[in-house]
Parts: sequence; C-alpha cells; structure tokens
Amino acid sequence: MFDKLNYLHKIILIIVTLLLVAVISLSFGSLNLSPLRVMKVLFSPSDTSQSLNVIIKQIRLPRIILSFLVGAGLSIAGVVFQGVIRNPMVDPYIVGISAGAGTGVTLAIVLNLQFSFLFFNTLPLMAFIGSLITVYIVYNLAKTKDKVPVVTFLLAGVAVGFVLNALMSFLMVIGTRDLQKIVYWLLGSLSTASWSDIRLMLPYFLIGNVIIIFFLKDLNLILLGERSAQHLGVDVEKSKKYLIIGASLVTASVVSVSGSIGFIGLIVPHIARLLVGPDHKKLYPTAAILGGIFLIISDDLARIVLSPMEVPVGIITALTGGPYFIYLLRKTKKEIW
Amino acid sequence: MLKLENIDFSYGDVKILKKIDFHLKENEFIGIIGPNGSGKSTLLKNISKLLNPDNGFIYLDKNLLNDYSYKELAKKMAVVPQDTKVKFNFSVYDLIMMGRNPYQDRWGRITTEDKRKVNEAMELTDTKKFKNKSIQNLSGGERQRVIIARAIVQEPELLLLDEPTASLDINYQRNIFDLISDLNERLDMSVLAVSHDLNLISQYCDRLILLNDGKIYSMGKVDDVITKENISEVYNTDVDIKYNPITERPYVIIVPRKKGSTKNIKSDFKVHLICGGGTGKNIMNILKDLKVNVTCGVLNRGDSDWEEAKRLNFDIVEIPPFAPIDKEAMTKNEKKIKNSDLIIVSGTPFGWGNLDNIKVLNNFKNKDIIFIDDNLDKRDFTDGEFTQILSEIEENNKVYEINNDKELCKFLNTKYEEILYD
Repeated sequence: MFDKLNYLHKIILIIVTLLLVAVISLSFGSLNLSPLRVMKVLFSPSDTSQSLNVIIKQIRLPRIILSFLVGAGLSIAGVVFQGVIRNPMVDPYIVGISAGAGTGVTLAIVLNLQFSFLFFNTLPLMAFIGSLITVYIVYNLAKTKDKVPVVTFLLAGVAVGFVLNALMSFLMVIGTRDLQKIVYWLLGSLSTASWSDIRLMLPYFLIGNVIIIFFLKDLNLILLGERSAQHLGVDVEKSKKYLIIGASLVTASVVSVSGSIGFIGLIVPHIARLLVGPDHKKLYPTAAILGGIFLIISDDLARIVLSPMEVPVGIITALTGGPYFIYLLRKTKKEIW
Repeated sequence: MLKLENIDFSYGDVKILKKIDFHLKENEFIGIIGPNGSGKSTLLKNISKLLNPDNGFIYLDKNLLNDYSYKELAKKMAVVPQDTKVKFNFSVYDLIMMGRNPYQDRWGRITTEDKRKVNEAMELTDTKKFKNKSIQNLSGGERQRVIIARAIVQEPELLLLDEPTASLDINYQRNIFDLISDLNERLDMSVLAVSHDLNLISQYCDRLILLNDGKIYSMGKVDDVITKENISEVYNTDVDIKYNPITERPYVIIVPRKKGSTKNIKSDFKVHLICGGGTGKNIMNILKDLKVNVTCGVLNRGDSDWEEAKRLNFDIVEIPPFAPIDKEAMTKNEKKIKNSDLIIVSGTPFGWGNLDNIKVLNNFKNKDIIFIDDNLDKRDFTDGEFTQILSEIEENNKVYEINNDKELCKFLNTKYEEILYD
C-alpha cells in the first residue's frame, strides 16, 4: 500500500508519525500523563503546575529532541557513508569514526578539557577532531595511487577502530577517577539529556548537515560508480572528501552527547531506501526523520523496560535493530542495495 | 578535436601504453582495435581523464585535457563504459536525467531545457517506452541504449565508447552501432570506440587504430589496417580478409587449422574472367583463395571490378574509363584467353560497349566456359545479338551454367580437383 503513495505523501505520513511518537513519548515516564495533558502543558503553560512544566519542558522535551537529533544524525551519517563507499555494510561505527570521536571525548574527560567558547563546546570539538584524524588515517591507509577502493577502506576502518578502542580502554585505566563517567557514556545513553546538550551539539550538527546537503546531488552520481560520476562531471575525490567531513561532523556532534549508540546508522538508511528509493534528495530527509523516530521509540523502551531503572539506549537499539534487519533481509526478495 | 602526443602510461613498473600519438578530427569516427591486453581500455581511460599519462600531452580542442574541470569536460566528452550495470533501482528517466548533471546547479534543479533534451534523447534511442521502468529490469541491449541516451543529453562533442556491444546479440550489436553511426553523422559527434569485434567496427568507422603491446601497430583507413598481414601478425592467428559486398568494407575470417590430409594448391591453373560493374568481385575472391592465376579483360579503369582486380593484383587488360574496347586491348585480351584453362563470365549486363569481350570467345574452340547467373533476357542490351553470340559459343565450347558464387566454389572444387590440387 505504502508503495503506491508518491514521495510527498510518504514524507507527510512520516512527519505525522514523528509528531505522534513525540507527543506519546512526552507522556511516558515516572509520572504518566495523557497526551492531551502534555499538549496543554506545551501550548498553554500558565494553566498547569510549575512541576509539570519542569518535567515536560526541562526534562522530557530536551530528551526527545536530543533523541531525534542523535537518531537523525546517525542515520544521515549512515546514508552518506553507505553512498560514498557504495556498500550497505557501512556505518560510522564500522569505518572507525565513532571510535575516533569516542577517543576524542574520552581524552577530553580524562584531561579535563571541557569548556565552552561562544556556541562551540570542546567536547564535540574533541569528538570531531578525533573522528577527523581517524578518517584521515583510514582514508590514507586505504588510498592506492589516487583512488580509495571500498575494500581497503573498510579493512582500514575496522583495524583503526580496534586500535582506538584499545586506546580508549587504556585511557580509562589511567583515568580511573572518571571511569564510571566514561563507561556510562560508552554504553550510549540519553538519560542526562538537557537543553545544554542540545546547545552543545547543534552547531556541529548543523554545519555538518549543510556540507552534506551541498554535496547531496553528487552522492546520487557516485552511486553509479566513481568513474561514471566523474564522466558525468563530478569531481569525485573532492565530493567524497567533503561528504566524509560533513558526515564526521554530524557523527562527532552526536557521539559527544550520546556516546556509542549502534545499529541506527546501518539499519535506518536501509529502511528509508526501501520506502523512497535510492535518490538521495528523497533518501536524506526520509532517513533523518525515520532515524529520529527510531531513537525516540528506543529511548522510550529504555526508560520503560526496567522502570524505574534505565537501560542504556544503545542496548535497546542493538536488540531491536538486529532482528528487524534480519527480518527485512529475509522478507524482501528485491535487492535492498 | 582530440590530439594525443607521445602518451606513455604504466601501472607500476608495467608499461601499458608506449608513445601513443594520434589526432581525431572533428566529426570523425575512429575505432580502436587490438588483442586482449594491448592497452585499448587503458588508452580510453587516459583520454577520459580517469588515468593520467606518465608522459605526453592530450589536447581536447587545443586545450590540455587537464585544464578542464570535470564539469566542463562532461559537457565536451561523454563516456559509455564497458560495464553498464547499475546497482540501484533508479528509473530509466532519472538515470538519463543524470546526464544533465554538468548543466545543472548545485541543487540539481531540473529545467524545461533538461526535460526537452532527455525527451529527445529517449526518442533517438527508442527508450521512451520504458522510461518509468527500473534500470535493473532492462535487458543488456536496452540498458546500453539508456546509457547512450545519458551520454547524448550531455551534448558532448566527443563520444568515447568502451566495447559498446560486448556480450550483446547481433541484432543489438547492429542496433547500437547504427545508433552510434547516426550520432556521428546527424549530431556531428566525433566518436572514438574501442572494440574487440574487428568486423563490426570495420563496417562503421572512418579510420582504425590497431594497437599491439601498447603501441600503435597500424593506423589509417579500414582497408589499410584490416589486412591479412596486420591481423595475422598482431593476433598471431591465421586469418583471411574478405569484403562485405554491401558496405564494401573488409572483414576478417578465421581460418581454422586444417584437419587430416592437407591439400596443396597448384598454381599453374589459369582462369580468364569476363566481368564488370562489380559482378566479378566475389568470383575474384574465390579465385584468389584457390590461388589460381587470374586474368581479367577488358575492364574500364575505375570500374568497381577493375578496382577489386587491381587490389588483388590480378593481370588486367584495361582501357580508359567509359572508352570503347579498342583493337590494341582486344589483341592483348585474346592472348590472355588463349593461354587460359578456364573462362568465367560473370552475370554482368552486355551492351554495345562491352560486347566484344564476349564476341571474342567465338574465335576459340573447345574451351571450358562458365556462365554465372544466366538471366539472359535482362542482361542483353544489344537487341538479341548477345544471345545470338552465346548460342554460337555454346556450339563450339564446353559451356557450364552456374547459378551463383557459392555453387561456383563447389563446382570448381569438384570438377578441377585433380588439376587444382596435388
């Protein structure tokens, strides 16, 4: 049925779903509210109590917005990496970028480097520097003459990822006083989400996305193969470079506030591609919103499953994402990729 | 249009291209042939800026290839690659539209001009009927046409093709090459096509480049490149060269290794051929293969049979174009006929101008004479005199009537087996 709708209808349907999921999620928690009540708090705050206002606006709303941004960011990075590398098994984690960002963040925590300058906080900046250095190393390890073959890129990414994970463990050992903080961060969680987290990551997130959108058209042509793209007028190496920088920025912004949340960057682009096809002008917004929805729901589950205790959301995404991915692979006869 | 000067290219230590030098003129169609590993595809990749030559210069319209941005280059040159498989579910229309990329802005806004060009290209390539289909659901030949349509909307001045018909059936092969030829002639695109199919490309291109071991072994008109010597040497195999009677282009045939007893052809058998207007071409080639001595007479210079006989180095009694047969030529001709073991008369029409060629046979007795395609009524432009002469000839000689060239081949092999072979 969904297949018969045109793109505009599909995207409207997805946005409506997002809004519904957001409102329902706002009503979940230690204090259960009806969605109607939630709307009231949001749109006519003077009628409601101060504590309810705080719960909804200072605790739940930033958490949901952050969940959305993190989910969207990971999906966007997944879309870009899968497109650039032309391989469906790629996401920010596999190419080592998350590990790079993680190392940056760990270093910042251990060395106590966290401070803010204008809108730019050092935590995402360290994550970005970490991820960029990683991409640079992986990219150059993989480079043969003036091309970057997919297979070597993946291998280099996996290898560098291992080294960085070891480095992170080492940093944790020497920085024992911050151990708990780092471990919790590594598991991936949105439980401490606040407006300041959003302010912290948003500048990097937005800049990364602007860069990606600027090169989005080239990504379609790169899908045809790098040679064909070049013959059709794309400066492939340049576009790839900027797309990777953009995706690294987005990944870094996300990783610096949420830690390591896996599977979204791998699975959401697949689902989006099934829904709207391979054209990135449609795929990019679809994957972003779907990724947001996916993480909001996952975070709801993280809050509910062992309530009042919270499970790190990274565990939920892996547990739900994995089987769904397998189900998708079995169900669709047509090639996803 | 495109000029290569001393191009060298190597992968690591292996030299692939050595001092490649050629000039593709505007609106020219050049085919590149050569055995596997001779550097054809590598050459094309150098020209399309996928690879950079180690030495030498490539000019496109007087500017160095490297001075073009990829976008500018895509407006001047389109490439149809060897492998046209697309991994993604793009529709045919979307895929062709991608050819407009060099003309579009950053955001890929589609203009009415873009739509018009895509429509034109779809009509030209006959791809409109499946424009909404996924590219993945097309056959190889259909997909190839879509990729060519994508190249057309780039509005290039130069079209590069790498094995455009590899793994296609012959109907598609013809279809694709007809299309390329059309683009060359009607849209004034210069074409440079790599093909391993010597016979196909030879029928279409203006000039050929034969590559061997990274060097240009031979370059020039198809006739000069597709020769028995060149092809046998470069491909290291026994071949023979024939002529396509319709395109008058050469084509290569493979000569299989002979099995069992090999026949040695004696070369002292002499055949005199009476022909004209192209009716003798195939006969000449059959005789050439049998390695008999052939004389032709009397032919006007410039006649297509004269050209073929000249090419095959036959002994010709010739007169100026359109001139009647004079005494001197006739005497020479009579001498040749006298020395011949067999006379073959092709299915050429006879009028007052060439009637003497046949009349002269009346001076001989007991000769073996073969008449091909004996449709006399239609070939007699002498108010019956030709027919009259024929019946006189038949009385005094051993006359055989044969329907076509193929039968002639069979006939010669059976009747003259002992004479022709040891």
